Amino acid sequence: MASTVIGAGITIEGEISADEELVVQGTVRGKVDAREGVTIEAGATVEADITAGPLTVAGSVIGNISSTDRVDLQAGGRVIGNVKATRITIADGAQFKGNVDMDV
Amino acid sequence: MALTRSPSPANRHAAPAGEAVIGAGTRIRGRVTGEGDITIAGRVEGEVHLRGELFVAEGGQVVSDIDADALRVAGDVEGNIQVTGEVTILAGARVRGDVRSGSVSLDEGASFDGRLDCDVRLPRELLLADEDEDGATIRR
Repeated sequence: MASTVIGAGITIEGEISADEELVVQGTVRGKVDAREGVTIEAGATVEADITAGPLTVAGSVIGNISSTDRVDLQAGGRVIGNVKATRITIADGAQFKGNVDMDV
Repeated sequence: MALTRSPSPANRHAAPAGEAVIGAGTRIRGRVTGEGDITIAGRVEGEVHLRGELFVAEGGQVVSDIDADALRVAGDVEGNIQVTGEVTILAGARVRGDVRSGSVSLDEGASFDGRLDCDVRLPRELLLADEDEDGATIRR
């Protein structure tokens, strides 16, 4: 039920550890360590390595991503970094630069 | 005390721009800066600089110096507090640190350990008669 929302005007520099849903609308620099789902909304900027459950990216991510579930890179979203996930979707209109590592 | 801007359950994920919630299961180590209101129900260690109101909810823990426009505490705060507006320390809250603010209110049942530095308007009858009316200097 509980969740964390980093609002559009907010910047966090450091380390975020979350045992709950995390929604980023603002800016995060550092490291994100989440057990549940992470959503990076359009307009959000994350310059951090991300560990998460299901991850949805509609904003910008610079950093390596490791997901125990799926990564959904949506139209307008941008990822520069390597992605490790069990499933991945990259929508038409998304930008991605990096490697994908899936357990096969 | 009711939250004046609590989002309706339907749009919990769609917090208005500039609003932020650090949930009970979240811990942040580092700097939190920006514009907008933040509710902290989790733990923050580091530094908070905010143009907006900071609300430390029950169960929330903030171990950091705080610089904000307004502050309401129902949880734990350890650090020095500098607030331009009002600091409200609610029942059950625990604050350790020095507070400098425009005004402070301490509820019954709140715990506060530190120094208070705020501008106080004394009633005229408490001012000595030989001082000028705005009580620029008070001798006792």
